[in-house]
Amino acid sequence: MTEPVKDLVVQAELVSKTFGTLRALDRVSFQVVAGEWIAIMGPSGSGKTTLINILGGLDRPTSGRAIVDGVDVGTLGERELTRYRADKVGFVFQQFHLVPYLSAVENVMLAQYFHSVADEAEAVRALQRVGLGDRLVHLPSQLSGGEQQRVALARALINHPKLILADEPTGNLDQANEDLVLDLLRDLHSAGHTILLVTHSLAIGRLADRRIELAHGRLAQIIFNVDENHKAVQEHS
Amino acid sequence: MFLRIVKDSFARQARRKLLTAVALALGTAVATATLSVALDVGDRLGREFRSLGANLLVTPQADTLPLDIGGVDYRPVDAGAYLQDADLGKLKTIFWRNNIIGFAPFLDVPVALRPANTSAAAPPGVAAPPAASSLSPITSPSGGTPAGRATLIGTWYNHAVQVPNGGGIFRTGLSATDPWWHVEGSWFADDAAECVVGASLARRAGIAIGQTLQVNAGGLTLPLRVTGIVTTGGQEDDAVVAPLEIAQRLSDHPGQYRRLLVSALTKPEDAFSQHDPSAMTPADYDRWYCSPYISSISRQMQEQFPAVEVRPIRQIAEGEGRILTRVSALMWLVTLAALLAAAVAVAATAGTTVLERKSEIGLMKALGASRLLIGAFFLGEQWLLALLGGAAGYAAGIGLAHLLGQQVFGVSPQWRPILLPVVLGMAAAVATLGSLVPLRGMVQLDPAPVLRGE
Repeated sequence: MTEPVKDLVVQAELVSKTFGTLRALDRVSFQVVAGEWIAIMGPSGSGKTTLINILGGLDRPTSGRAIVDGVDVGTLGERELTRYRADKVGFVFQQFHLVPYLSAVENVMLAQYFHSVADEAEAVRALQRVGLGDRLVHLPSQLSGGEQQRVALARALINHPKLILADEPTGNLDQANEDLVLDLLRDLHSAGHTILLVTHSLAIGRLADRRIELAHGRLAQIIFNVDENHKAVQEHS
Repeated sequence: MFLRIVKDSFARQARRKLLTAVALALGTAVATATLSVALDVGDRLGREFRSLGANLLVTPQADTLPLDIGGVDYRPVDAGAYLQDADLGKLKTIFWRNNIIGFAPFLDVPVALRPANTSAAAPPGVAAPPAASSLSPITSPSGGTPAGRATLIGTWYNHAVQVPNGGGIFRTGLSATDPWWHVEGSWFADDAAECVVGASLARRAGIAIGQTLQVNAGGLTLPLRVTGIVTTGGQEDDAVVAPLEIAQRLSDHPGQYRRLLVSALTKPEDAFSQHDPSAMTPADYDRWYCSPYISSISRQMQEQFPAVEVRPIRQIAEGEGRILTRVSALMWLVTLAALLAAAVAVAATAGTTVLERKSEIGLMKALGASRLLIGAFFLGEQWLLALLGGAAGYAAGIGLAHLLGQQVFGVSPQWRPILLPVVLGMAAAVATLGSLVPLRGMVQLDPAPVLRGE
């Protein structure tokens, strides 16, 4: 008898998405349990961002089911979807996407405000955790790329979401800042956060527990990094 | 947090926001000016109209049909009913008493005229006329007959009326009801044996200012000194106009008059005022009664004088109503056009703003902002602009109204602080109207493509 999977955070069941005649996702199925770090990989146009957008409630599947924390995202109405985005997921984008006229702390408070109530002290603590305690009142234009991405990370975490969706979060960063952000992601993973990270980089992908590889919108393979790493160690020895 | 976001956002894109504020300021300036003038135009035109003549005619209910041919009342002096001039002060006690700007009682008496006998004694109670110097005989149009018949119109020129219940003295007469009557020379004094003669009669009979006329009716002859020649374009041009008391003595109707002309400031007639008051609901009746329609003022006068018939002089009332309605409509049209133009300008700048802020809007949606909240952020900024633009427009509009008022009426319109919240409300409405289409695009924006940079 198979033991039921505990704390399933993501269930993608034959998820398809078409844009006109373009099939961006084609019957993709996988599951993610709580605390897992998943890297979604694949060449450009393989459907990585589309998948993230569907799981984040920014897009709806054309068919199939995308269930996050027990919620079938595709069936939600506009208001429920808005609530879902505020409650269940935290986004980190490649382009940072901070509100340019709000300070670092205000950008974090913005997510709190959309979720429930803005709490400046908590927002300050979140920024201190990502090493930006001395950049609280700086505007995005006064921050480096890495600092902006750390503000975005603090913002993504502030409402304690079930799922962190990071779309190439280091794509616009230099090596030093990339390392800083990856260290933070490692810490989050260690702390038990569930992370879905889109990346082109195999090195970053290998940091995850599993790599889901997409090709032409289809699930090409799922690789367990633990097994692969173990195999590599065995081969080496 | 809401205000913090709106405040921080407001400080950006200063040039575009300035354009929006200027558009709103221009629209509300024109609206303020036209509204100020439109609100004043009723009173102002009403007063101008009132200088053209009375708009209410009061006659005894029991009066006989008038027999008026060529300006001469051919009814026997004893025919018909009369009203008491002692009661006239009551007119200034009705609900709309302040809108009664003047009234003049009239008593027409057919008289025979002839040159004065300079030794004629002044009638009792009437000042003696000065000695006439160069009296010419009164002649007919053909020039041969040394005497003639005419109508003597007895009325007040500037008479002091005691208002009951401590209402003080109200001065009224032709000076209030018909100030446009042109008199060469001067008007008679209400307590003197004087008269003015209609221009046609004076020309026909060769009457000149300073002459004394012997005026005879019912066996009584009174000498009246001619103080002026009056031109009205009406029946007065063929009559002698004298103090009411003279006419009362000649007709042997002391203290009485036959008709009363009343000049009242009224609201233009509209569909509501045309309803039959007796069929109105109590609420509608109160509204009608407390509006200065000519019909409601008539009703209130009739309540004071149960034995009279009060009739609006329709040609005047309706003409005024049409002019006032058209002027008001024009003002409202200009206001509407100005506000619409402002809304179009707001729409243009708002559309560009939304395009530029697409990624910010998309981000907010991705973070869980509702459509309502995103709309509120945007409208919050627009309303802040409306507040600033509207206030500036109000200030400019007051100046513009001053200029308009001086140009059109020679008087600045009254400053109305109540217009400020109205104008600010209009500015907010215009800002909202101009933002509707961009706002619709904003709330319907799909965040996914925007965040992908598409």
